Amino acid sequence: MLRAVADKLGLQINFVGTDFSGLLAQVASRRFDVGSSSITTTDARRQTVGFTNGYDFGYFSLVVPTGSAITGFADLAPGQRIGVVQGTVQEAYVVDSLGLDPVKFPDYNTVYASLKTKQIDAWVAPSQQAVGTVQAGDPAVIIENTFSLDNFVAYAVAAENRPLIDALNSGLDAVIADGTWARLYTDWVPRALPPGWKPGSKAAPLPQLPDFTAIAERNQENAEAPVAVAPKSTLSQLGDAFFTWDLYKQAIPDLFKTGLPNTLILTFSASIIGLVLGLVLAVAGISRSRFLRWPARVYTDIFRGLPEVVIILIIGLGFGPIVGGLTGNNPYPLGIAALGLMAAAYVGEILRSGIQSVEAGQLEASRALGFSYASSMQLVVVPQGIRRVLPALVNQFISLLKASSLVYFLGLIASQRELFQVGRDLNAQTGNLSPLVAAGLFYLALTIPLTHLVNYIDGRLRRGRTATEAEDPLDPTTTQEMV
Amino acid sequence: MSPSSLALEPVSLAAKDIHLAFGPNKVLRGVDIDVPAGTTSAVIGPSGSGKSTLLRTLNRLYEPDSGDILLDGRSVLHDNPDALRQRIGMVFQQFNLFPHRSVLDNVTLALRKLKKMSDETARAVALDQLDRVGLRHKAEVRPGTLSGGQQQRVAIARALAMSPQVMFFDEATSALDPELVKGILALIADLGADGMTMVVVTHEMGFARSAAHNVVFMDHGKVVEAGVPELVFEAAETERLQRFLSQVL
Repeated sequence: MLRAVADKLGLQINFVGTDFSGLLAQVASRRFDVGSSSITTTDARRQTVGFTNGYDFGYFSLVVPTGSAITGFADLAPGQRIGVVQGTVQEAYVVDSLGLDPVKFPDYNTVYASLKTKQIDAWVAPSQQAVGTVQAGDPAVIIENTFSLDNFVAYAVAAENRPLIDALNSGLDAVIADGTWARLYTDWVPRALPPGWKPGSKAAPLPQLPDFTAIAERNQENAEAPVAVAPKSTLSQLGDAFFTWDLYKQAIPDLFKTGLPNTLILTFSASIIGLVLGLVLAVAGISRSRFLRWPARVYTDIFRGLPEVVIILIIGLGFGPIVGGLTGNNPYPLGIAALGLMAAAYVGEILRSGIQSVEAGQLEASRALGFSYASSMQLVVVPQGIRRVLPALVNQFISLLKASSLVYFLGLIASQRELFQVGRDLNAQTGNLSPLVAAGLFYLALTIPLTHLVNYIDGRLRRGRTATEAEDPLDPTTTQEMV
Repeated sequence: MSPSSLALEPVSLAAKDIHLAFGPNKVLRGVDIDVPAGTTSAVIGPSGSGKSTLLRTLNRLYEPDSGDILLDGRSVLHDNPDALRQRIGMVFQQFNLFPHRSVLDNVTLALRKLKKMSDETARAVALDQLDRVGLRHKAEVRPGTLSGGQQQRVAIARALAMSPQVMFFDEATSALDPELVKGILALIADLGADGMTMVVVTHEMGFARSAAHNVVFMDHGKVVEAGVPELVFEAAETERLQRFLSQVL
């Protein structure tokens, strides 16, 4: 639909996938021009962004596990676990219109997976999503549809970007006038328009839709009795969800070509920031000057105290618009910065403990030879401190590797996807968890060797090195001395 | 014992009325000490009397609150302290070798970084000093693989390599096994015999008596008695020194 509208306007569309939780904020900050995700307009959302005219209306489906006692919206009652996606209109509908307390999920896949495994009793879904997600043979059925005329579905645009909203509105009217809208609507969501609602502006013609009821009746007559698909056993359900080999085959090339390099770029770049800044923080943290000590302390407390996701969102969405010109709205520099700043807080503490564990006599001996405080730290104390905490540093590196998956919150285009996002994309397309398991295997392939490296270093530091070893490949001082 | 002789230009060291307090704790309360060029002064006294602190104040690892320090007759309190410390070698009770560097690196580090010697020159100087302490063959190993006595020899070589004008020894044998003490003391005595100006904080009364030109007895942050060994050991004037000697001898 958006493509058709853009064609009318002579605009080219570049689709970028992002997390719904960050979508409107990113549209508001102009990182994206248009947000499209069957977004239902609400007053709360109008505070953040502007909307075009509606191209669809809020249509909800109630999905329940096969054989559930719930037969419609009227059966929903307190005490049931009713799944919704966080921040969606369905959540608002369950809370405000039904007066119930829903179970909130981060995305549609997770909520549907929970429904299939009966961890929730029902799912209030956008109808389009429900129709696309619930497959024949799944242990779930759509039992009732309802609509909400208060909230129509539209594209989100930054509120002050009036020219784009106007352009999209005129484009929408044009695709309604030439019948494209009716064709797409019939293909995707064949259902009658609710009385008193039509898409586009007031000036747009009423779209000519076929009589869906008649078609449905005809289909009913023509159709053979629907093939009875026996519900699968829980075990084979789980087997399908996690071990569909075709999806592994499909996922692995992308994981190798796109996910792995991106994950490594993110992790290594962030590690370098983390190490350099962490060293500065460590040295400042043990400084005699409180003007160095205090900032280091405050920084560490903040960045160690915040959840990773919050840091990524604050840096990515908070600083993104400020430095948008520099980064070209590429989320990578921001993601790397966020991960690096976060790692620095932990690395700083690790290094500080390492440096402080070096006997005072080392500094004294170095100073007695005539080295300044700075040279003594650089040549004698810090290298020893780092060696002592190498295992802890590698552990930090491992958690950074895993945290790198969180950049998906910032919205990545296809070529920027790291391991988790590659798996998640295919998972979103298929509703199957196998691609995520495949991505997980890649993480393990990276982290397990590192874990063993930690054990190796640990053991060696404990035993000390033997006299016959001429050069220590892990000795950070050998590289420093080259200077 | 000394295949290479030191290019000695002995200087005198003196301290006048040194005061130093850590917070309310007055550690040095007006210390005077006079070490003529080329002589050895042994500093003795009970634990906590301020002996080790005095050494660290003389090379300005601690800055004195008041008083003056004279090297070769000239006050050094306004010199760059790092430059001052290059002129004064120091050997510690706990050796304090750098465990992450080889023995050779321990000795060459300051030569290369501070004296800006080339790698080859520094290596030659270092091997010469390691030879003096009899450990040239251990140049490539890490200090951790050496015995305490060997480590202290390396520490002495490290200090001597900088061609210091004065040497400080801070209880250099206290952490050693008894059978290793003699060798280190002999090494220190040799150095004194070669004409090095030295201040030796020690609990080894035998060494103080035989190898030092002067003995300084400290207690409670003050020099209580000082003089040639014969006087200090045979004719102690104060009751405090007499009591101390009766306890350690």
